[in-house]
Amino acid sequence: MIVVPLIGLAWQALWANKLRSGLTLLGVVVGFTSVMTIISALEGMMGAIEDDLARLGPTTFIVQKWGIVTSEEQWLEVVKRKPFDKETGELISEGCELCETVAYSTGTGTDNVQYRGTNIRDVRVSGTTADYIDIVDLEVSEGRFHSFEDDVYRRHVAFIGDAVRERLYEGLDPIGRDVRIDGVKYTIIGVAKKQGGVFGGDERDSFVMIPFETFTKHYGFRGERMNYFVKAQSLETMDQAMDEVRMILRAKRHVPYDKPDDFAILTADNILEFLNSVTRMFRLGLVGVSSVSVVVGGIVVMNIMMVSVSERTREIGIRKSVGAKQSHILTQFLFEALITTFSGGLIGIIAGFLVAKSLVGMIDVDISPSGLAITLGLSISVGIGVIFGIYPAMKAARLDPIKALSYE
Amino acid sequence: MALIETDNLWKTYIMGSEHLHALRGVTMSIEKGEYVAIMGPSGSGKSTLMNLIGCLDTPTKGEYKLNGKTVGNMNDDELANIRNREIGFVFQTFNLLPRASALHNVELPLIYNGTSASERRQQAEEALTKVELSERMFHKPSELSGGQRQRVAVARALVNNPSLLLADEPTGNLDSKTSQEMMKLFNLLHERGNTIILVTHERDIALHAHRVLSILDGQLASDERVAVGERNGASG
Ligand SMILES: Nc1ncnc2c1ncn2[C@@H]1O[C@H](COP(=O)(O)OP(=O)(O)OP(=O)(O)O)[C@@H](O)[C@H]1O
Ligand SMILES: [Mg+2]
Repeated sequence: MIVVPLIGLAWQALWANKLRSGLTLLGVVVGFTSVMTIISALEGMMGAIEDDLARLGPTTFIVQKWGIVTSEEQWLEVVKRKPFDKETGELISEGCELCETVAYSTGTGTDNVQYRGTNIRDVRVSGTTADYIDIVDLEVSEGRFHSFEDDVYRRHVAFIGDAVRERLYEGLDPIGRDVRIDGVKYTIIGVAKKQGGVFGGDERDSFVMIPFETFTKHYGFRGERMNYFVKAQSLETMDQAMDEVRMILRAKRHVPYDKPDDFAILTADNILEFLNSVTRMFRLGLVGVSSVSVVVGGIVVMNIMMVSVSERTREIGIRKSVGAKQSHILTQFLFEALITTFSGGLIGIIAGFLVAKSLVGMIDVDISPSGLAITLGLSISVGIGVIFGIYPAMKAARLDPIKALSYE
Repeated sequence: MALIETDNLWKTYIMGSEHLHALRGVTMSIEKGEYVAIMGPSGSGKSTLMNLIGCLDTPTKGEYKLNGKTVGNMNDDELANIRNREIGFVFQTFNLLPRASALHNVELPLIYNGTSASERRQQAEEALTKVELSERMFHKPSELSGGQRQRVAVARALVNNPSLLLADEPTGNLDSKTSQEMMKLFNLLHERGNTIILVTHERDIALHAHRVLSILDGQLASDERVAVGERNGASG
């Protein structure tokens, strides 16, 4: 086919005008770089959140009063729900055949935590049963987590997050030292491995965990804030285990058969779904705004092509006089646009990915190239080339040979 | 059958409310193998006629048959095809691509009819050899003299072995010595069987041809055979 030599002509024309072609290319590169940066960074961030949620484990679900509240109406319904009572946990662990473990976790919100006169805020204090650490992806870096006995005997022991260690015990071995929570003294028995946060903060490491019963002794049983972490026996039986728990709780809480649950069951999947849905508009907005720069790149291409067509009118006349058809001229000029947008797109995609990688790298997130984003990006670059190249190319193709030849 | 037959050709340019008749009913015929010069004062319509003959333009009125085919009914692609295969055009201003080598300029018509790269190269080299420019293949037009540029243009016009070689004042931009050389080349091409139509202002140049058509005010004023004795150049 004759297309190949025409692509060659397009390439020669671009090459003959290196500076102009380079600047046009730059316009396209900038557009694609900015879109790709944003898409890759967003993708990396969502991926990191996903990884975080995966720590919950695919077979674990959480039972709590609140669930995910997305509207005021829902909120009004949710506040009216009964809190859990003390027997709920046992009812679940005894009644649910397909559940392997049921751990409890409850908290106060944030509290003051002290060591020798140093006081830090924003620490989550929670009471958890000993098997909590088996369900949640939390690793011990020093010492140990509290045991079943600690819980039963309501010992004053504490397992602290890495941020607490860093802020209160910098340079010290915290094991065996004490920590005061709301004025009560506890002995530190273990430190958790640093988890890091998606946005670089240390809020995920700012916690102190004490045995569940010890917590209840000081703060009372907080049915409002109970979280039952339930681990199903296997992935296959997860849904059935959730149904079992649902039935147990509905019976216990006397929910009429035609009314919805008055409690929530959360899994990593539905939390993620929720996160996706609340961030969707925001992400689309960002991508939309940055896409404008791709369009601007397209307009640059079109603009330069128009100039080029008028400057090369005589050349077009010469080509026509020796037998170039309209389709030949059209193809050559369209390929000049396409070569520019495609290579600009390619460079922009690579550059955008690298920029995004170094950006999210600052908050300890790693990203890898996404085949979908690359394919999509390249298709868009071709699309932009066609959309913005077709008009100048048609203008060139339709020139009258005589007028073009006598053009000064 | 004549190679070229025109019947009452009109070409009218409409400029605002004014109608400018560049050609007013030209009827003539040219046989294959003829060597024809077209003469006439400036603005008489010589180039307009050449452009019609060369299928760069279509008449406003009248009929033009090339090789028996009516050009008036042809669409753009068919005209391009004719320009590519049947016609070789040489212009006063050379009309070469300034950034391309002589070789690439000569290859150009072959690109548009799908000739393979290797054949293109070979045919273009042959054409350049015919005009004695094989030494200058890789030179750009700016690196060639006027006469050499025009020879590149002739090579380009010949590369497809067209039925017809059209030259609109090919020596208009050349000095007299170079013009004489160019005319020798045309004589040679004619001897080899090419049909040539040539526009010129100079009687001297026109007398290389075997027939001279004069145009006045868009109409054919005379059509004379040049007797062998009157002809310029050794070819006869
Ligand atoms: N595109 C055009 N639009 C309007 N008028 C035109 C156009 N082309 C040619 N003309 C007019 O047509 C007439 C014939 O022009 P043409 O170029 O054929 O003359 P010519 O005989 O080749 O002259 P010269 O010897 O100067 O080249 C002239 O009056 C010219 O002004
Ligand atoms: Mg003229």
